[in-house]
Order: sequence, then C-alpha cells, then structure tokens
Amino acid sequence: MNVAILASVLFAVGLYGVLTRRDLIAVLASVEVMLGGASVMLVGLATTIESAAAPEAGVVEAVGLFIIILAAAEAAVALGIVMAVARRRRTTRVDDLTEVSG
Amino acid sequence: MTELLTQVVWWLLAATAVIGALAVVFTKDVMRMAIGLAAFLVAVAGLFLFYALPFLAVVQVFVYVGGVLVLFLFAIMLVHRAEEGRPGLESRHDIGSIALAVGIVVLVVMALRPLREATVVDPTSSGTAALAEMLLGPMLPHFEAAGVLLLLALVAVIVVVGGDDE
Repeated sequence: MNVAILASVLFAVGLYGVLTRRDLIAVLASVEVMLGGASVMLVGLATTIESAAAPEAGVVEAVGLFIIILAAAEAAVALGIVMAVARRRRTTRVDDLTEVSG
Repeated sequence: MTELLTQVVWWLLAATAVIGALAVVFTKDVMRMAIGLAAFLVAVAGLFLFYALPFLAVVQVFVYVGGVLVLFLFAIMLVHRAEEGRPGLESRHDIGSIALAVGIVVLVVMALRPLREATVVDPTSSGTAALAEMLLGPMLPHFEAAGVLLLLALVAVIVVVGGDDE
C-alpha cells in the first residue's frame, strides 16, 4: 500500500509541474516524473500485492521495459520539437507559444 | 533486523524520489531541475532493484540517466544559452492545479485500498531468462512494434530538428 501512495504522490507532483511550469523543458521534465511514478506503481503493485491472478514470470519486467522504451522515444521527439520551436520562435515559454498556426 | 533494514532502504529511496520530483517541479534554477531529475530517476532505478527487478533497474540507469538526462542537459545548454539574464524557470501556481493533484492521489489511494499486500517480494520474478522467454515469445509483436517506434522516433527527430536549415 505504501508503494501505491508513493507512486501516486510522484505522479501528482509531476502532474502539478506539467500544469504550472511555464517553460517547455521543465514541462517535459515533469512529464518524465509522471512516467516514473507510473512505472513505480506498476512494479510495486505487481511484485507486492497478493492477488489470485499473479503475473507470469517476465511480464512485469517486459511491460516496464516498454514504458522505458516509450518514454525514451517520447523524450527524444519532444526535445527535438522544443529545439525546433526555440530556434524558430526564440522562446520556450509556453505563454508566448499560444498560436495554433502561424 | 533485516526487516528494519529493508524498511529503511525503502523509505530512503522513496524520500529521494519525492525530493527529486519536488526539485523538478518547484526549483527556479534550471541546473537544479536537471539534478533533481537525475536523483528522481536513480531513486526509481533503486526501487526497481528493491522489488527484485535488476535488469529493469540497469535499463533505467542506462536509458534514463545515460540517455534521456544527457538529452535534457543538451537541450538546456542549447536553448537557455541565449537567455543568460533571465531570472530562471517560472511557475504559475494556482489552486486548481493543487486540487487536481491532491484529488488524483486521494482517488488512487481510495481505489487501491481493498488490495492486500503480500509480505514477501517474490524472488522468482527476477532473472533475464524469463524476460527473454516473454519478449521473444508471447510479446514478440510488441517487441517488434517497439523497435519500429524507436526507428520512427529517430527519423522524426532528424526531420524536426534538421529539416529546415538546408
């Protein structure tokens, strides 16, 4: 149960950062915190909670591996977009990037 | 004694993760944010190790601390270089975001309350043989899809970052 509280606190802290940070890179770092919280939840619950349908051997590690792969791809693409935006618009503040087109 | 030590290790890892996460979200200094992220990611790797998933912990350190974090540092150096005089990272704190974050914690904890905790971490879940059996057996389509996704991400980053200069 402790691990569920820890993971949801980490997720909530990351969510708060995504909502309140005003810089694109800081928003992305907060998204990484959210993803970390989610994987702590997965790993912690899968290995400690008593359940009738215990996961097959290797499933938890495989799913955790997929979370890490997705997060790495997401971070690479998102930071690439941040670089392109910063070069074109000379800012990474989300308040200055409110236009959808143009 | 071992039980106490286990508890101490868990709480140390949890405290490091939470402090790192708080640093990412609340600090004004961009380098402190990066160091907070590093502490958070290492603590998460430690938690994987704690739950008897050593391979996942190694991958977490390699990919996150060695890859994603370095990517963040490069982005910070390239983007924030021109804005030397700026006061640093800003946040706009408001009550709605606090309510949403606290609400998520309350909802998740209430939803998971009926679950009972097993006292022992199952040691049979560790070992790379079971992971290999799983990845190259029932999860082979997912594994292939992840490879395609990484290739697509690589091409996408090249197009997005290097496309318009030439």
